[in-house]
Amino acid sequence: MKIRDITIRAGRSLKQAKARTLLTSLAIGVGAFTIVLSLAVGAGGRAYTSNIISSNTNSRAIYTQAVQDFASDPTKPKKYSDTPTLSMGGGRGPSIKLLKQSDIDKITSMNGVESVTPIYMFSTKYITRIGQDKYIASAETFDSSVKLEYISGGGGGIKDGEVIISTNYSEALGFKSAEEAIGQTIQIVVEKGGTNPLQSEVKSFDFKVYGVIKQSLLAVNFTDRLQITKNDTKLLYDYNQQGTPTFDTYAGAIVIVSDNADINIVKSSINDAGYRAQTAEDLMSFIFQFINVLQGILIGFGALAVLTSVFGIINTQYISVLERTQQIGLMKAFGMRNSDVGRLFQLEAAWIGLLGGAIGSGLAVILGTIANPMISKALNIGDVSLIIFDPLSIIAVVIGLIFVSVASGILPARKAAKLNPIEALRTE
Amino acid sequence: MAVHLVVVAAAVVAAVGKSFVWYYRLMIEVKRVTKTYGKKDNVFKALDDVSFAIPNGASVAILGKSGSGKSTLMHVMSSLDKPESGEVIIDGKNILALSQKEVDRFRSRAMSFIFQSFFIQANESCYDNVSLPLEIADVHPSRRRAKIELALSAVELTDKIKSRAHDLSGGQKQRLAVARAIVNSPDYLFADEPTGNLDSITGGVIEDLLFDYNKKHGITLIIVTHDPDIANRCDMQIHIKDGKIESVEGSRK
Repeated sequence: MKIRDITIRAGRSLKQAKARTLLTSLAIGVGAFTIVLSLAVGAGGRAYTSNIISSNTNSRAIYTQAVQDFASDPTKPKKYSDTPTLSMGGGRGPSIKLLKQSDIDKITSMNGVESVTPIYMFSTKYITRIGQDKYIASAETFDSSVKLEYISGGGGGIKDGEVIISTNYSEALGFKSAEEAIGQTIQIVVEKGGTNPLQSEVKSFDFKVYGVIKQSLLAVNFTDRLQITKNDTKLLYDYNQQGTPTFDTYAGAIVIVSDNADINIVKSSINDAGYRAQTAEDLMSFIFQFINVLQGILIGFGALAVLTSVFGIINTQYISVLERTQQIGLMKAFGMRNSDVGRLFQLEAAWIGLLGGAIGSGLAVILGTIANPMISKALNIGDVSLIIFDPLSIIAVVIGLIFVSVASGILPARKAAKLNPIEALRTE
Repeated sequence: MAVHLVVVAAAVVAAVGKSFVWYYRLMIEVKRVTKTYGKKDNVFKALDDVSFAIPNGASVAILGKSGSGKSTLMHVMSSLDKPESGEVIIDGKNILALSQKEVDRFRSRAMSFIFQSFFIQANESCYDNVSLPLEIADVHPSRRRAKIELALSAVELTDKIKSRAHDLSGGQKQRLAVARAIVNSPDYLFADEPTGNLDSITGGVIEDLLFDYNKKHGITLIIVTHDPDIANRCDMQIHIKDGKIESVEGSRK
């Protein structure tokens, strides 16, 4: 008997048992749905992450830190080291080793390094505007490689004495609109380092609003920090930190690699010099790993559903063999080969897998397509797809499920193939 | 010269062999067949040293009470069942010695069956029911429709070609089974109590169909029955009792 004829007969007998076929298929469909959706969410997550990271980081930047000592036993006293450290919890808690100015100079002199910007750790006391309330805020150095979404202002380039604020602060500081804020003066007030905190000496620095940016919930770079130039950062830092033990030490530094140098070679030479260097790509692979683990868990649930449906298929097919004992006997009497009888039932199982896979992944695609704009809207991330369906992976899932179904059909099919035609025809 | 001799000798051997085979094609020979069921103390001899021969094209009734072994004899003759000993020679071949694959092939091309309880697929159309033997015998799809229509017209079910077999009456169902049995022009048609589930009128229609087909096409018809009326219409009657041949009556008229 030709495979074509067997396939048609298998499909026909499934059509006759519509409800049973559909219910069995639905079980495997749940698995297909979960797997297809988690693949799509994983793909969307990775695409979004790589989008965020590439737009918020400089691909020629290396984030450099001192080598941290996370391995030591926190229950035992730590050995003293000369490296400057930022301790929390009185020396017993976690501590971050810092870079000194000499480290910065050393890295600056390395081959292929264009510039080194230390991460200045300082705190502003508050920000305000004449006639407005005072608000807590923090400031960081503007990075030209980070793409900001300007509501107003921007363009050209930020100059010393200018500041970029988010819409949040624009509203809080009493500007009626983002446009109105541009060119207006706000004050950043900083405490003088090393003074008695009870009688602190403060200084107010005037900044002109250069641009107002949209604040994004999911952005890696928390944009509600004020952004000022490198020189201004140094100015505020010096005022705030001079006279404190951590003056001239940095939590890290951003190394910009010159255009003609290989970023990976520079990275390894920084690592060899005894620092910990990470590129944007490293950061991305770390987040990817996280997404992949989440995706793996989801797929695991899907696989569990598929495993359950395996028993459903075995059960359905056993019943089908029992119901059609006479038909099997008749087909064998007319000379149908045992292997073809077995194939008939395996193809039935294959149909169930195909149907379940198609139903499940079809529903997943429909639901994902409907939910996508809703999710993007709820998370306020603009016109971005967090669920990306890859036709190839859907086809792979469906084919995989067909194989699972065929494998589940092996035992019932073998029972049908081994059926004695005389016994089968005697069954009334 | 030597080459010529070899060619001539080969031709002679081939010709003799062919006529030899042709001679055996005329018969179904059952030789010393014994079939037992059960083990050790419970051994039951369904067929006990059974031997007879049927000329091709004959109509044969196998008669006996239930449990006499007549169904087992039919199963052995159609190679559905394997006896412990003996031979069944059809077309010059001992079909009991063939491999399963060869037996299936032989059965799909040369044999056909009709059963007391029809065994038609109620959910399928008449067309698909009759199509089954053609599919099993690997008849090309383009040649199937003509054969199916011919078979259905022979049993006067042409107008039901698209109907579901479920909607047919009992007599129509058995006529459908006859169409299914003759669609692939078999050489041997086995009928197991073909009228057992039918009233005498519809049963008579089935009988007429079978005997007409037997006469017109020269097909060997083997009917297992306990109905003496059917048996009397046959060329040959084989009476079987307790697994043994009681008598073989008649010969081809």
